[in-house]
Amino acid sequence: MTLLTTTNMAVTFGGLRAVDDVDFEVRPGQLVGLIGPNGAGKTTFIDGITGFVHTSGRIDFDGADISTMSAHQRARRGLGRTWQSLELFDDLTVRENLEVAAERQSWSSFLLDFVRPTRPRDRAAVDFALDVLDIADLAGRFPTEISQGQRKLVSAARALAAQPKLVCMDEPAAGLDTEESLELGRRLQRIIDAGMTIFLVDHDMGLVLNICDYIYVIEFGRKIAEGTPAQVKRDPAVIEAYLGSGAGGVS
Amino acid sequence: MQRSVAQVAQWILLGLAAIIVVLLVTNEEYRLNFLSGPAIVKGALVAAIGIGIVLTYKGAGVINFANGAIAMYCAYFYALLRRDGDFLVPPLPNPLVLIEGPVNWFRESGDYIDLPDWPTRISVGPNMQVIPAVLLTLLFGFVFGLVLHFVIFRPLRAAPMLAKVVASIGLLLLLQAIVVRRFGSVAATVPKLYDTQPILWEFPWGIRFTREQLFVVILVLIVTAALWALFRFARFGLATRAASENEKGAVVLGFSPDMLAGTNWVLSTMLAAMFGMVAASADSSVDPVTITLLVIPALSAVLVGNLSSFWITALAAFLISMARPVILFAGTKSWFPHSGTIATPGVGELLPFIVIVLVLFLRGDALPTRGAISAGRLPFAPTPGRMSLRVVGPIAIAVTFVALLLVATPSGRLGITNTLVGIVISLSFVVLTGFVGQISLAQLVLAGVSGFLLSKFAEEQNIPFPISPLLAAAGATLVGLLVAIPALRVRGVNLAIVTFAFAVAMQEFMFKNPSINGGLNGSRVRAPGPIDPLKTVAISRGEGVNPWFGIFCLAVAAGSCYAIANIRRSATGRKFLATRSNERAAAAAGVNVSATKLLAFGTAAFVAGIAGALSSYRFGTVNPEYFGGLQSLTFFAFAYLGGISGVSGAVAAGFLVPGGVVFTILDSVFGVPGEFAPILGGLGLIFTAIRNPEGIAGGFRVSYEQMRSKRRDQPDEPTAVTSSRAPEPEVVP
Repeated sequence: MTLLTTTNMAVTFGGLRAVDDVDFEVRPGQLVGLIGPNGAGKTTFIDGITGFVHTSGRIDFDGADISTMSAHQRARRGLGRTWQSLELFDDLTVRENLEVAAERQSWSSFLLDFVRPTRPRDRAAVDFALDVLDIADLAGRFPTEISQGQRKLVSAARALAAQPKLVCMDEPAAGLDTEESLELGRRLQRIIDAGMTIFLVDHDMGLVLNICDYIYVIEFGRKIAEGTPAQVKRDPAVIEAYLGSGAGGVS
Repeated sequence: MQRSVAQVAQWILLGLAAIIVVLLVTNEEYRLNFLSGPAIVKGALVAAIGIGIVLTYKGAGVINFANGAIAMYCAYFYALLRRDGDFLVPPLPNPLVLIEGPVNWFRESGDYIDLPDWPTRISVGPNMQVIPAVLLTLLFGFVFGLVLHFVIFRPLRAAPMLAKVVASIGLLLLLQAIVVRRFGSVAATVPKLYDTQPILWEFPWGIRFTREQLFVVILVLIVTAALWALFRFARFGLATRAASENEKGAVVLGFSPDMLAGTNWVLSTMLAAMFGMVAASADSSVDPVTITLLVIPALSAVLVGNLSSFWITALAAFLISMARPVILFAGTKSWFPHSGTIATPGVGELLPFIVIVLVLFLRGDALPTRGAISAGRLPFAPTPGRMSLRVVGPIAIAVTFVALLLVATPSGRLGITNTLVGIVISLSFVVLTGFVGQISLAQLVLAGVSGFLLSKFAEEQNIPFPISPLLAAAGATLVGLLVAIPALRVRGVNLAIVTFAFAVAMQEFMFKNPSINGGLNGSRVRAPGPIDPLKTVAISRGEGVNPWFGIFCLAVAAGSCYAIANIRRSATGRKFLATRSNERAAAAAGVNVSATKLLAFGTAAFVAGIAGALSSYRFGTVNPEYFGGLQSLTFFAFAYLGGISGVSGAVAAGFLVPGGVVFTILDSVFGVPGEFAPILGGLGLIFTAIRNPEGIAGGFRVSYEQMRSKRRDQPDEPTAVTSSRAPEPEVVP
């Protein structure tokens, strides 16, 4: 049983195939990594899965083909994502940022909002997301008032607040030092333990090799390798992509 | 799904084009109407205004709604030189009025003191010849451009796009108000640029132009070609393009964006001066409205040219203008839609609007693409605090209640009522622009829709009182959702222009349509029983508004404020703000961006509809002077001035609107007559846009928070202040 499967997924910008017939799958409870050099098409791959660029091929998620659904429909089916540039809602507090993702709108709730805006709601998902990333103390602050590292956590928490089945994380470790990167790895593990699945995109080999269960490697939009961290580490195509040709002997 | 929408738009466009081409080729009457001299001249003038707008957008990032008004002002400058040999002196507010007014307050009439005024014109001899007058007008255009750049738009360089739009609207209102004050609203005669007999030039297919008409068209084509070449090949043009893409990059390369922006402004105002003269000379007359409103088709053409192409803008301008006589001619045919005995008005405006929407739909995307440039930050939208909901609000309501019932004079009651209606209208802008970041310049027209519907429901269908205005507002909501359709794929200032075009088309369609506007009798709207402003204390008897009608307005305004404040505090409000902040991230968080926009447009239209009903009750009729596209522009500007992103801003805006409390006080206490309201309003808009881009309410809040954080005396926590003027988050590559 797989959670997410792509079959011949491709993204084309003009004449450029940014993602070229990539087959890939994620099983529930896994932490799957996607690595590749800069410009390999990693972010475009996430954009394709989550519905922000037009794709060809098939994308199956949780038992349905989602490739023609709009971005918000995919999000509501339980496919969350974070952004490399975070894209927090600067006009809302941290808690409100999370609430946007956690709350679902209906006609009756819209009309009720005119008269009883602060009626009690189920806050469990928001509180869970704040706790699991340990940022409950930031809840009342605005994204513009906190540090870049804290903003990264808020961005992840916002994706978790929707209680997704799968979270796609776009370079969560970018700009973190080694210690912070390790700490992030521990927090991601807590998310997995809470029953969610993570698809992690990064070019930080260290983080991905350390914490992922299964890894895909892409270069110039094509999949060049996949396997467990140990397999990927030894793969000659990966070594060539990362270190250049002829470097195989060195490692 | 996105693709299929674009495809449908594409096919409709191609189909329309095919029909038009077939009609023009096969039918001589259509062809002659299409190629008529006056229409081509109008096209040329629209094109000139349009490329001026493109120029200032490229150079300074400003959509100049006032470009037509600048041309109009320069035409008056030229006319005065030619006719009387007088310089038109720009008016400066006379500070002595502030002394004159209060002093005269304590004096008997006839004993008023009269302090000296500014001169309005300086004579430089008898009437002037053509060449010196033209050169002087161009020089005036040059200086005018410098003044606009250095006084208004350079200080606004880093301001949000909306602040620039507001400043240009302020400029439009100001220039128009000055001319009306000086010359009245009627047309003034203008001597021709050259006094020759009209010479007709014959072309194949029976087409005829006068020499003047050809001259104008060729002049526009030459200017377009020159500007195109300037931006294509010359260093200056390349530098401007570079600076508009990336200001910092241009600085690094050794260009001064400031210098470039100034040069573009001067070019654009000199163009406006030149074609203002040409337009006035072609008509032999000039009035405050005609040239000013050329900006409406010009903006549509600019949109088709995607705010960048001179040629496409010019072409679109010609086509839009030349299509008008064809549609008028088609109106004489029996197949054309008629209302009553006349051809349905507004089709000529509606058709180009539909074409533009289709073009934009083709280009747009349901979600902005990666790396798309945003329209700039909107003012911070705070959650209304408990304090303001539970204490300040009720106190304000109580004070207004007492003032209406016991204190106010008839004119004071009128002012308060105008303010209350203004608050409700501003709330409609707050929901749409302040909360969701969508600019609509059609809200007053939606209010008008509600007014007309109310008249039909109440007077013809006899639907009882509380139901009829609600039904009318619901009708306005439906039309508002129509406006929202382009908003699903069009963003930022483009959306502002589209909605403005819609407002103008709708205005023609409604107000000139006898089956809607009630013909000669007008659309009567009588308020029921005790709140009727006309029956109890008639406005016509000079006794002003019935206090009970004021109380009714107060209840509606307070209720609307409360409901909108609630929306900001609710889940819906968070979704609104999220959409405003970042559409892509909102979609990733599961927010249906299209549905959220529709919801906001619908809510705003309903609020506007309520305001329209109130306003119609007040006049006893649907007053066309209150509900047009220009009025939408004015009220939008005042709503921004008050503070677009919160309920408190709407309240502040209500005080400022024309005829509201502030102007009533200025009139009755300081003796500033009502005619000065548009001049002061225009000046105030420009000044506030520069000094206080967050609006008046935002300015109050910032200083209040500064005061509070000082009192708390916690130097390590300046957060309360930074929240309102948040720095741009650093961009992660």
